[in-house]
Amino acid sequence: MALEVLLVEDSKTQAAQIKETLESVGLRVRIAYDGPDGIREAIENPPALVVLDVKLPTMDGFQVCRRLKRNPATQDIPVIMLTEKAGPKATMSGLRAGADDYIPKDIFASEHLINTLQELGILE
Amino acid sequence: MSNLVGPYKMRPPILSVKVEDSMDIMIVRDTARRAAGLLGFTPANRAQLSTAAATLAELVLKTGEAHTIHLNGVVSGTKDGLQISSQAPWLAGVSANNVLLALKTKLGALVDEIILDGTPPTIVMIMWLSDARHRLLDDVGDDES
Repeated sequence: MALEVLLVEDSKTQAAQIKETLESVGLRVRIAYDGPDGIREAIENPPALVVLDVKLPTMDGFQVCRRLKRNPATQDIPVIMLTEKAGPKATMSGLRAGADDYIPKDIFASEHLINTLQELGILE
Repeated sequence: MSNLVGPYKMRPPILSVKVEDSMDIMIVRDTARRAAGLLGFTPANRAQLSTAAATLAELVLKTGEAHTIHLNGVVSGTKDGLQISSQAPWLAGVSANNVLLALKTKLGALVDEIILDGTPPTIVMIMWLSDARHRLLDDVGDDES
């Protein structure tokens, strides 16, 4: 059975694009459109991986990542932040929050995302 | 190859990207991530190194002249690392201490070493593979930005 990814992304357009990339490598994708929903989904039905946007309504991706990494129920789930905020400060904030990777949303994003999935053992 | 400088012995991969417009920043970021992957850095460390390289590319682009970002492996004793460098002739005559302070303030959390080397000056940034994981864990904090 295919592994499931929880995608936390408020933009429906971008969520659809990322979902397509993840499904193209055989993963199932569940989408949460804001941080609190993403945390609840991760706790209630832990996925194999969380792909997390930074700019989210209510609670930003850094806060969501930190909460996931501090909760014993979700702390071992790998988190990849996929974001438009690509500067040094934002990158370190994402990694310090516990993200396993921090990938800018540029033309190489899909390729880097898949490479990291392989690196983390999500894909063979 | 002739523009490659730095205090450490170099090793493959040896890659260069000419930075002439904003698209090249993305290519530098991608190339740094690939080079870091070839050397065995974790995805988190790759994110740090690619951000450092892209930020250096943004900096050189602001000078208005084309410059080249070099990415190469380095060796020191038993340690392997990735070096990111670019000649910075516009810094000739500027206080090295002030330049280093500014660079370390902006990029210091992303790499292990930032050096100004040679004449004309070359900005050199290095992350060591063996120290990288410990360094990041030491930095873990609660800041948000």
